[in-house]
Order: sequence, then C-alpha cells, then structure tokens
Amino acid sequence: MTTSTSTPAERADDVTAPALAARTRGLRKVYGRTVAVDRVDLDVPRGAVLGMLGPNGSGKTTTIRMLLGLVRPTEGEVELLGRALPDGAAAALPHVGALVEGPGFHPFLTGRENLRRVAAFEPLLATGDIKRAVEDALERVGLAAAAHRRYRGYSLGMKQRLGLAAALLVPRELIVLDEPTNGLDPAGTREVRNVIAELRTGSTTVVVSSHLLSEIEATCTHVAVLHRGTVVAQGGLTELLQAESSALLVTTPEWVRALNVLRDARISARAAGGESLRVELIGTTPPAVLEALVKGGIPVWEARRQRTGLEELFARLTEAEEAEEGLSAVDTVEEGAR
Amino acid sequence: MTNPVVTRAPLGRQLRSELRWIVRRPRTVIGLSALCLVPVLAGIGLWFAVDGDGPAGPGLAAIIAGNGLVLPVFTLFLALPLLLPLVGAIWAADGLAGEAQHGTLRGLLLSPVGRVRLLAIKAFGVATMTLAAVALLAVVGAVVGVVLFGGQGMLTLSGNTLPVGAALGRIALTVLLVTVQVWGVAAIAMAISACTEHPLVVMAATMAGVIVSGVLGVFSSLDWLHPYLITSGWNKLVDVMRDPLPTGELWHSTALAGCYVLIGLSLAAMRLATKDS
Repeated sequence: MTTSTSTPAERADDVTAPALAARTRGLRKVYGRTVAVDRVDLDVPRGAVLGMLGPNGSGKTTTIRMLLGLVRPTEGEVELLGRALPDGAAAALPHVGALVEGPGFHPFLTGRENLRRVAAFEPLLATGDIKRAVEDALERVGLAAAAHRRYRGYSLGMKQRLGLAAALLVPRELIVLDEPTNGLDPAGTREVRNVIAELRTGSTTVVVSSHLLSEIEATCTHVAVLHRGTVVAQGGLTELLQAESSALLVTTPEWVRALNVLRDARISARAAGGESLRVELIGTTPPAVLEALVKGGIPVWEARRQRTGLEELFARLTEAEEAEEGLSAVDTVEEGAR
Repeated sequence: MTNPVVTRAPLGRQLRSELRWIVRRPRTVIGLSALCLVPVLAGIGLWFAVDGDGPAGPGLAAIIAGNGLVLPVFTLFLALPLLLPLVGAIWAADGLAGEAQHGTLRGLLLSPVGRVRLLAIKAFGVATMTLAAVALLAVVGAVVGVVLFGGQGMLTLSGNTLPVGAALGRIALTVLLVTVQVWGVAAIAMAISACTEHPLVVMAATMAGVIVSGVLGVFSSLDWLHPYLITSGWNKLVDVMRDPLPTGELWHSTALAGCYVLIGLSLAAMRLATKDS
C-alpha cells in the first residue's frame, strides 16, 4: 500500500503538522469472498471528534483496525498522523491511544498489573514514570479503588474503563475508541462523554464509533456515516445537519397577518396549527425572517429552528441504501470477522 | 508528529515484563510444581526397585545404588519425550495464541511493538522458562537422588564411575542438551501459535506432531526420514552417560534441534508479519 508520489500531507509534515490526523483513500478489505469494507475515503481533521456511525456490521471496526495498522487493507492507503501505513506505524502509533473491539486484558492479573504490562511496552513512557502514569490513568477513569482486584472479577463497565485507561496512559495526539460506551450504565456513559470532552479541550483528536445516534450527536464535531462497508456521508456535524432542508417555527398570536408579511417579503411559510407558522428556510436565514416579521409589527413569542435530527438523516441514508440493495456489491459481515 | 525519531520502549523493560507475565500466570506456578514431582516420584519408584526385587530387576538397581547423581539425568530422559515438549508448547501457545484470544496481542501491537521484535520477546520468554523448567527438574532430581541413594559419584554406561565434579558437569551438559531439544519443539509450537488464537490447538498440534514423529521413528522402512526427525535424536542423548564422552550423535541432534528452532521462528515471523489482528 505504498505510493511512489508523496501525498500533500507528507510534504506538509516537514513544515508543520498536517491538517488531518488520519486519512484513508479507497480503502477496501476482503475476507475470503466477503467484502467487509469498500471505497472508504475517511478524513479525520486534527482536533475534531469524529463519530463513526453505522449499524452493527457496517464496517466500523474493520475500518478502525485498518486505520491503526492492525489489519492490512486489500486495497487503498491509510495515513496516520501524516505517515503512510504500514511503514509509518512505528513512528505514528506511540502518539495514538486505542480501544478496539472491547477491552483486552489478562483475567489473572489485577487491573493495575494489567496496565503496568501495557505501560512497559509504551515507547513514550520513561521507565521511572510508569508507576505514576498507571495510577493517573486509573484515577482518571475512576478505577483507583478497584485497581488491586483481578480483572476476572470486573464488571463489563469496569473492563471498559480499564480499556479506556490503557488508551489514556500517555498524552496522545489521536485517540480511537471503538464503541466505548458498550456495557456502561448511564453514569459510565456520562463519564466517557466527559473524558472525550476533556480530550477535545486538550486538542486531542478523537475517533469514536457507535451505533447509537444520541451518543454521536452528544459528543462529536464531525461524523462519518457507514453503511454496508462504505461511507455514505461525512463532514462537520452542523454542516451535515444544516445541509438538510430546515425550517423555522414561529409562534405568534397574529399568525394570519404574519403570513401576509412574509408573503410580501417573498418568504414561503404556512400555518402549522395553533398559533404557529412553519417558515421554510429556502433562500433565506432565520435573522432575515425575524427582521421581516418585526418590521411588519408582528409580536414574535417564540422562534425555534426545526432541525432534521441526525437520527432522521441516519435513517434516511440507511433506508436509501437498503432500497438499492439489489445493486449493492458490498456484503455485510459481522464486525470482528477475520 | 513533531519528533521524527522513532521511539521504542527499552528492550530490557519489555523482556522483564514478559517474564513477569509468564511467572505470574497461575498455570506456570502449578505446572512447575507438578514438574518437581517427577524426580520425586522417579526417586521413590527406584528406591523400591532397589530395595526389593522390583520389576526393574537387579541391573538398574545396581546402577542406581550409591549413584544418586544418575537420578537427574534419568529424570530428564524420562520427561523429554512427552512432558517437556508439553511444557514448552503451553508457553508457546500462551505467548501468541493466548494473547490473541484475550485481545491483548492487539494492545501490544498498538503500543507499538514491531512484529519481529514481539516474536523475539515471546521467544525469549519461552526459551528462558524452558531452560528454567529443565534446570529445576535437574536440581530437584539431584537433591532427591543424593538424599535417597547417596551422591558419591555417577556410574556411567561404560562401567566406570565419574567423580562428583565431573558428574555435576555431565548433569549440566544434559540440562543444556535437553533444553535445546525442547526449544526445537517450542519453536514449531510458536509457528502454530502465530496462526491461531486457540491455545488448545497449538498444544494439541504440537503434541500430535511429537507423537507422530516418534511413531515414524519406529519404522525401519522410513529410515531415510529418521535423520530429520527431532525425536529420533532423543534416545541417543544417553551418550552423555558414557565415558569418554562420544560427541558425534550429541552434535548431530543438537544441530537438528537448532534447525527446528530456525525453521519454527522463521515461519512464525512470516505469519506474524502479515497477520490481521
């Protein structure tokens, strides 16, 4: 998967940090006769929290594993922190923390011993700093009290937290979390969200995968929607949402007069029942709508944006895919199939 | 990525961590303890054989009486055909397949540790533990032998008796020779271990290989094959009990085991280099 020509990111690497923390081009992975991932062009901007959203088996984990150099792509290129994989893995991976396909630890060791073992292999940790780094990471995920217990006896949530702690052992440039809230209770989910928010403030790039839309909507700045092994939509969360036709819901007791005012201003609107109007935001913006109303002497009680939720977007995208099922060459595989 | 220099975790730290991980595993402790029982049981068995008219007959009794230092060598030859290959296979199985099964191999690769280096660390762990196990067998065997039969020297198969110093040298030599043979088996087990994530498969395949190899060694129609079977050299290791020491067969079997180590580790490296995890 090496190229003879240097990519823009590689050239930029000499001068300044590349704008993308990770990038894939034409990524494809075939297991036997099953196409797990196909034509994945993923851009992870630096400092972003990118949510990889997709139903189970949509290729999220396979893509993440290729992104981290764990799996060799059948075709395509991966660039991690400006370095082409697999050759650049040794230079890039120390700056990457990851929790892939659930936490992996030894059941007979305690949480602390498990982390010490991971830490011993961490290139960026000086030997003298291991103890402190392990305690800090345990503290950060709220496992300090259970650190002396064997991993065998941990609950699913505790296991997940220990996996998170391993990713947080060293300050990273990129953190990749594959379904980090799996098995966590609401409190644990909130903690993971807090950790992601903290990382974002610390200008760490985060890639987080989930099949839960609320999870992505709550934590991410960017989103890539995967379905049947391909990226069907990606971009900034707000841009993706605003790209959808949206409307403004205006509540006013003088809604009949308001309709006339808006018609005069060439803004399309219709009564939405009660005392409210639905104003289509086509060729206009909310400030322009409100200005027209106020100048027309309409008392506006409330104006709120009616978004097309990510859920709707997601549902629409996946349904659209399902409609073309007959044409799709990509088969769905269970995540983690090897 | 401000620092273009590739950083690596210190090798010594990784090796220590690997050894600590093996030793902390409950099965390692239990296995080594059980291994210590072998010379004890062999000693007790021989004690009764010497004492009464055991099935071993007066020949063996004559050799062993007053020659306690024969026991460690006897024990090692007793353990070499099955027990020691099993021990080596267990550690090789846990090293790669076991780690893959727990999902920890992924963590190590993400650290990152280079795949060749990872294999070197794993091979070091298995090799060190194998040497430790064989040495432990010999030490326990020597102690039990001296306690039960006395340790005036070692009666050789050539009929003369070696003084204590030379006898200890022969025991050390046996430990080394047997260890290299187990390394040969363990290296093949490593190659299998790199291909699967089921440790049981590794152990079963390795032991089946050892047994089949032993069976093939029996058929004289296959004698063209025998120089390449690692097991066929194991019987000839009794040469260490002769005086003066005939080195021909010992060199040959050791070189053969060395080839097995080379082939096994090369196959493991090839598999590991392209393995998806």
